[in-house]
Amino acid sequence: MPKQHRASKVVWQSFAWPLAVQFALSAGIAAATPPMMKDAATHEQLALQLRKCQQEDPMDRLPHSRAEPPPKQAQDLLSQSDVLCFGGIATLVPKHAVLLLPKSMANRSKFTTGSTLMSWAEFYAKNRGWITTVEVTNEQAAGTQPLDAEVSHRLKDSIQVVVATYHGGPISVLSPKASAPAPSDPTEPSPSKH
Amino acid sequence: MALTLVSAATLASAQTPGYTNFIRQIQTSTGVQCDVTVAARGVQGAILPVGSEGSRFELWTITNPPLVSYLLDTKYVGAFIPVAVVTIHSEDPYGPVLRTRADRPFSVDISVSGLHNALKDPAPTKYVNVLRYVQSYGTNGTGVNLDYSHATLLTQASITQDGSQTLSYALTSIPGANLSKVCGEERFSVFSLAERQTSVAQIASSSIQIWPVADGALAGLSQGQLIRLAMPQVTVTLNDLYPSSTTYVQVYHGNPQLGVTGKTVPGSILVLNETVPQCRVLTLKGYDAVLDSEGLWTMELLTLTPFGIDRLAYVSFNLNRMIKINSNLTTIE
Repeated sequence: MPKQHRASKVVWQSFAWPLAVQFALSAGIAAATPPMMKDAATHEQLALQLRKCQQEDPMDRLPHSRAEPPPKQAQDLLSQSDVLCFGGIATLVPKHAVLLLPKSMANRSKFTTGSTLMSWAEFYAKNRGWITTVEVTNEQAAGTQPLDAEVSHRLKDSIQVVVATYHGGPISVLSPKASAPAPSDPTEPSPSKH
Repeated sequence: MALTLVSAATLASAQTPGYTNFIRQIQTSTGVQCDVTVAARGVQGAILPVGSEGSRFELWTITNPPLVSYLLDTKYVGAFIPVAVVTIHSEDPYGPVLRTRADRPFSVDISVSGLHNALKDPAPTKYVNVLRYVQSYGTNGTGVNLDYSHATLLTQASITQDGSQTLSYALTSIPGANLSKVCGEERFSVFSLAERQTSVAQIASSSIQIWPVADGALAGLSQGQLIRLAMPQVTVTLNDLYPSSTTYVQVYHGNPQLGVTGKTVPGSILVLNETVPQCRVLTLKGYDAVLDSEGLWTMELLTLTPFGIDRLAYVSFNLNRMIKINSNLTTIE
């Protein structure tokens, strides 16, 4: 993250009022009048306040729901994605979008600390030398149709990382349904399968 | 089914440098996921057709470092599913990740449209469920590598009519042994109902980070101490400073009193513009010049945040640097 947004500093100057107003303004805080000063809240004060708050839960105004709560969804894009990282830059693609990851490039599926994260389009534009894409159909992505034979053949011979795309956007390709023939036979496993 | 449009307008607030944004489309029926590259502002057609059971569009932002992803917004697009928008309001204007403090209020606007009320209408079109989840980051936690499956469902309710609801909370309900020190997230999600041919779908969701109340101490000066010569070195210990805050030490004549504006001690001003709370230790010395007269003084440790000024610690002392010389002059005459 750039320094200006992760910066903290000790100021070696002496200020008199309106110091608080100056900082309030610099922090984007509305400060037409000096900010209110109070002692920091304690556990006891907050416990009392929370008890009152819970007795007047605004959701109690709404009809009670007896529906079974849905399963909790992962709220983490990183765990649902594969990383591609090289030369100090990195991107994310949906899991199962990397169709082939040659062993010689296995280390490019791990995020290197200090790398700059960017969108797929930017990253691909800078790394066409070792990444190639395969356009798939909606049905192929869903696993209801196999990948084209020509694509499967390319996957066997490619020495580049192969990413499935749909109109240029990286897309996950699910395992084929039982009735469908194997869509691809990547010579080496993709990172999603580890 | 015709392509739907993904509006990237929400991204406008997510353009703080250091954040990288992604929009991901997830097909409800198959689980296929596809990323859409979008400009920071404007409108982009979804490249993947909406699935038979609808599609969910998720707007993510990722900080780096630390590498942490935040779900900013979700939208569900389907043939028979109502539309919902969840918007959380905080006193802190920071974005794109919403945040507030453990002792501060926040409110949640939930707007639902497209609900039906005829008897013959299927249940998923007649009402939606609102769920409130809380999850603690743990002691000194910052939300990195958080396992969201451990979130606690606090309350749930139904919405059966189109319109807007505002839920106001005086403070967070994240549990903790010390409520001033809780940190974590509150999430409000709207789900459709499951029926024979459709599964439960998250229509909209939004979350807010909760950070602890700061505390601090002034060491090196004791209450009521008499200072005869130079001011002693003071060590300022600061814990859980709000990510966007300015902390400083001031002195003024007289007994401790809230709201007094004094003179700021040189070297004590700490300006933070971070993504997570910070702990620091400062040393103050050579600040005698700001104490320009004798008598009772008070030294206060203050922190200015989007919520106002909090006094974290204070101490009063007596300053008497006068040297009284008794002498007698005589002559032999």
